[in-house]
Amino acid sequence: MNADSTSESTSAKSTPARLRLRPARATRLRLRPARATRLRLRPATKQHVRYRDDLRLFPNRLRRAALAGLILVWAFIPVLWDVPPFTLLSGNGISLNTLAYAGVFSIAAIGLNLLTGYTGQVSLGHSVFLAVGAYSTAYVGSVWGWPMLLWIFFAPALGWLVGAAIGPFALRLRGNYLVIVTLGLVFIGEHIFRNWKSVTGGNTGTSAAGVELNLGFVDFENLSLFGKSFGKDESYFWLIWFLVAVVAWLTKNVVRTRPGRALQAVRDRDIAAEIIGIDVGIAGYKTQAFAWSAAIAALAGALYAPLQLFISPGDFTLLVSIQFIAMIILGGMGTIYGSIIGALVITALPRFIDGISADYGVPGVAAKSTDSGLVSVASLNVIIYGFLIALFLLVEHRGLAGIWVRIRNYFSTWPFSY
Amino acid sequence: MTTFLQATFDGVALGSLYALIVLGFVVIYRATGIINFAQGGALLFGGYFTYNVSTSWGWNYYVGIILSVLVCAGFSVLLQRAMLQRVFREVVGISAGLLGWATLFYNGTTHLVGLSGGVVIGVLALLATARIEARYGDKGPSELPLFGAIMVTIGVLFIVKQVVASIWGFAELSVNDPWELSTSRVGGLVLQHSKLAAIAMAVLALGVFFLVDRYSRIGVAMRATHFDHEAAIAQGISTKIVFATAFAIAGGVAALAGTAATAGPELITPNLDFVVFFAFPAMIVGGLDSPAGAVAGGLLVGWIQNLVKTYVATTPAWFPIEDLDWLGAGFERVAIFVVMIIVLMVRPYGLLGTEEVRRV
Repeated sequence: MNADSTSESTSAKSTPARLRLRPARATRLRLRPARATRLRLRPATKQHVRYRDDLRLFPNRLRRAALAGLILVWAFIPVLWDVPPFTLLSGNGISLNTLAYAGVFSIAAIGLNLLTGYTGQVSLGHSVFLAVGAYSTAYVGSVWGWPMLLWIFFAPALGWLVGAAIGPFALRLRGNYLVIVTLGLVFIGEHIFRNWKSVTGGNTGTSAAGVELNLGFVDFENLSLFGKSFGKDESYFWLIWFLVAVVAWLTKNVVRTRPGRALQAVRDRDIAAEIIGIDVGIAGYKTQAFAWSAAIAALAGALYAPLQLFISPGDFTLLVSIQFIAMIILGGMGTIYGSIIGALVITALPRFIDGISADYGVPGVAAKSTDSGLVSVASLNVIIYGFLIALFLLVEHRGLAGIWVRIRNYFSTWPFSY
Repeated sequence: MTTFLQATFDGVALGSLYALIVLGFVVIYRATGIINFAQGGALLFGGYFTYNVSTSWGWNYYVGIILSVLVCAGFSVLLQRAMLQRVFREVVGISAGLLGWATLFYNGTTHLVGLSGGVVIGVLALLATARIEARYGDKGPSELPLFGAIMVTIGVLFIVKQVVASIWGFAELSVNDPWELSTSRVGGLVLQHSKLAAIAMAVLALGVFFLVDRYSRIGVAMRATHFDHEAAIAQGISTKIVFATAFAIAGGVAALAGTAATAGPELITPNLDFVVFFAFPAMIVGGLDSPAGAVAGGLLVGWIQNLVKTYVATTPAWFPIEDLDWLGAGFERVAIFVVMIIVLMVRPYGLLGTEEVRRV
């Protein structure tokens, strides 16, 4: 009321007396905000009124509902995978096992996104960190017989150390040079895996069948819930996607808080970041990004070993690194959920093509090596990776996440396209 | 001493091959500022094209080399336009060409008919798109971030490799080269003729390149564009032509390298592109933007690789560790990466490269 009276008095000086009636009407109109507040239940755009809202992970009912939905999907997919709507996928080569692999690769892709998407350090060496986790788990799990609770922490710790040892190289190099050095890392790693025969089994590889997969109260190889017993595929799915959620949640919390902002400052311009006081030194954010990214990849490797059962140097080649890069480019650089979407698509697509071409036959594609055809399925898959990388970078460099954000923004203001 | 000289000769031959490959990278890097991984694809394509001309068509091998250099230069320019300048019509042209080739081949024609049909269809699609673009406006080239550009070239490398494998198969093939296994003996040294040919090819190509780069108009324009992009445009230099020339040179050199790498006792397979990855240490050691560095780095790394290979196999008497077998087969290829990392730690921009000034 007070503010109104002053505005009335100031306007009185310049306006004719006839118009002085207006403030009274304006006061009556102020009833409206009550209605406006009710309308704000469906905000036109993303509106955060308090800082607290801005910091919440699940800021509105829609997001919370989505979370609940995802948990339901996670819980019921293994049970319902052979029931009609899902048979479209499960009947065409995408088994629960494929989804478990997709989960493992999601974890690794989140690690790479932390390094490349958030910190801007390009790495072609991600498959090496995956291999460190896989080989160490196969060794301590089946040779030394460590329990699950130990190896699941040992592999990331080892990965962290290797990453921290590689990280300092990134301090002195950038851009093109860093790409080449991480490429060198892949070759050096592959050479070590092929020749350190006592641990890695050399060219033929090593078995991870003896790795124990039970936590004492739950046995993931022979799970029984509510009086029903589940096989390895189902329980692996639950275990791995639970860990995907944990890693995604932890990483999300890192990137949306102070260290995450520091990483993004380093990505956008490292000298500027250094000048405003962000530590880019030997124990600084760049090195730590390498170390944590490697730790996450090693965790993925640790889960990969018992899933794959037999690991060999052929599983950790340059192509695997490129696949991870394809995942984060396709899904969306600098987003966590983008890494997961990308990993799902890149892992499932080859199996889907495999399944489709085996069942129906795709013109020009040879499903088996004995068939005649223009390209083999394996070649076609590699061509598709290459094509997807190039296409997304040229057309939509923010990936599927970018497309999703655009759709969401369009509908959040629908039908007004301002 | 003979062992050392033999290793040196083989090293120089390998080094010439590396120098050829690296020269392609350096020329493109000077023009565009990116490492073009698709060079591996050009090398593969060049090698196989020479094979095709000399074996499948039965023409003279040297004609094959020349044709291959020309075709690869054109191929490389097309790739550059498609992937780095976001020129829509080339993308459409290449895709339509591939599709046309695929359809023709699938309907029972030979690869050659399919390929030429594909080229015709691709060119028609390219022209049609150009017409449409001319009518409805051209968005023009725009810049990709560095990481994006490198990744696009890697994507293209994978595509080209698989396409080549689909055309010529995964089997190891022998190119019909005139040198085969013949050798000469000088003193105690065994000089393979194919290695001498590789050295000759490198000397010839590098010599021509340095003359063009130093004295011709386009060479000066290329150096000017590298020195200051905008000033060069202001002086009336067409950067489009400079980029195209750089990629054409790189493509031609890659075809030569592909030919040199498969001559003599070597066979050609679609995994030939890996030789490009092993040329990276040479590129880094020499410096990314220096053609002279390409030669120095190539020779140095080739030499080191062969020395390591020789002396790991037969450890010299003075060496404290007798048996080096635990290093594993192919250790020399890892050794050059280790050398590369050491050089990078001491001189982050290579031996002859220019240091990049960092600004906020």
